Amino acid sequence: MYVIEHALLNLGKNKGRNILLGVITLAIITATVVAMGIFNTTRVVIEDTRAATMSAIRIQPIGRTQMTGSSQQESAITLEMHQYFAESLYITGADISDSGRGIEAVYYLIHPDMLGAFESDLRGRGLPDAYTVRTDDAAFASLVAPIENLQSLSVAFLIIILVMGAVIMVLVTAVSIRERKYEIGVLRAMGMKKKSVALGLWAEIIVITCICFIIGMGIGAALTQPVTDSILAGQSQAAGPTTLADRINNAPQTEAVTVDVSITFTTSLQIFAISIVLASVAGIISITRITKYEPIKILMERT
Amino acid sequence: MKCLELMDVSYRYEGSKDYVLKKISASFEAGKVYAIVGESGAGKSTLLSLLSGLDSCKEGTILYNGKNLQEIDRDEYRSKNVGVIFQNYNLLLNSTAVYNITLSMKISGDMASKEQAYALLKNVGIDRETTDRKILKLSGGEQQRVGIARALAHNPDVIIADEPTGNLDEKTEAEILEIFTHLAQEDGKCVIIVTHSDNVSSVGDVVYRIAGGKISTIG
Repeated sequence: MYVIEHALLNLGKNKGRNILLGVITLAIITATVVAMGIFNTTRVVIEDTRAATMSAIRIQPIGRTQMTGSSQQESAITLEMHQYFAESLYITGADISDSGRGIEAVYYLIHPDMLGAFESDLRGRGLPDAYTVRTDDAAFASLVAPIENLQSLSVAFLIIILVMGAVIMVLVTAVSIRERKYEIGVLRAMGMKKKSVALGLWAEIIVITCICFIIGMGIGAALTQPVTDSILAGQSQAAGPTTLADRINNAPQTEAVTVDVSITFTTSLQIFAISIVLASVAGIISITRITKYEPIKILMERT
Repeated sequence: MKCLELMDVSYRYEGSKDYVLKKISASFEAGKVYAIVGESGAGKSTLLSLLSGLDSCKEGTILYNGKNLQEIDRDEYRSKNVGVIFQNYNLLLNSTAVYNITLSMKISGDMASKEQAYALLKNVGIDRETTDRKILKLSGGEQQRVGIARALAHNPDVIIADEPTGNLDEKTEAEILEIFTHLAQEDGKCVIIVTHSDNVSSVGDVVYRIAGGKISTIG
């Protein structure tokens, strides 16, 4: 217990070193919050978009690439057949309409993964081999392209932060602990066991990390949305005003793609775990090196 | 009763061919003050490191109450059985005098009370106001006294001091020597003092001289 008490007291005694370590840890955690926030949110958005667009199914003649509109061949499937197909257990519902120029039918799968099962069901219900069952792949790709770019960017950013952060933290922690070699020598000379000294130093690093985590979560949460908006705006400008619209079935582009980023509880836990692991690894490497010295050698070095 | 015993102890530093200590044998009993004298570089401080468990001998045996120091937990030995007063104090510089004392008590597993620490510091001539000042703000003499108080904090059987009065004035030196004598004669401690001072060595019940890696009794 006194080891932890000693560690907490030391936080205040070694202000300069701890502030430096804290600032670096805070920067790493804040950047991690932004990257993780964007990554996790875009993952959910892509999944939702996939669920929404890939669940919408059309029946098309084989060899036809255009997804929209109708044709004589397509309308060869009668209204009664479409209504019979709509009784499939793999869909949540269907929009079937007869505009006079042909029958328009869209089926909504319970889950995008049920496409194969739905097609087999339709074959069983009499869908001719000349027809295929298709999802709106192009619309999905167009909608998620900027979001996927954002996600890729966040992954790259996260990897850079974690690798660079780990290296920087190991170096800063090593310097910080090395400066305390004398103190460690005195504690060991007083009979404090190696593991107690190590526990105390580790506890100091973890407390600094926890404080930085709380502050970093706040700053990171505040920065994540503006950073996301800025990246998406940059992508829209780079792509040109009509490109996205062109991709989405020639529909006019009405507004830029937006993603509402949120830091969920799970994301917070992931960031906390990353922070603790990173700080612990950095700390343990330095602590292991410094505690291997015999106390007399440390004290003799000083004299 | 033999408290510490050296049996054919030899020591040389890593990378060195020359032995600092060559097959030395000596014994230290409870209730006595021992003075170890010798020229600079003779191996006095090395002997002190071995006796205090800060270093271990590769050749020979050191027994503490009949147990081989190599075979017991030296951290525990340092925290409970021996109190070391260093020539250069070796205190926690960013901490207060009283914290240095209470921490020593806690490391040894004792119940640490500030009042006990204040009393110990008062015994070595540190007033209440000074006890709450950081070590860095104390004079050399005051730091030496704190070092002495810290060595006594966990009530060890053996007190080992390396030039304990080197930074003290004559009056304080006399007071500190009085404390050492009291600790040996009244409390039954084994007090081992490494010194250059004839005045300090004069309080020794036994005086050992180290020269050429050998130890001999001169008084």
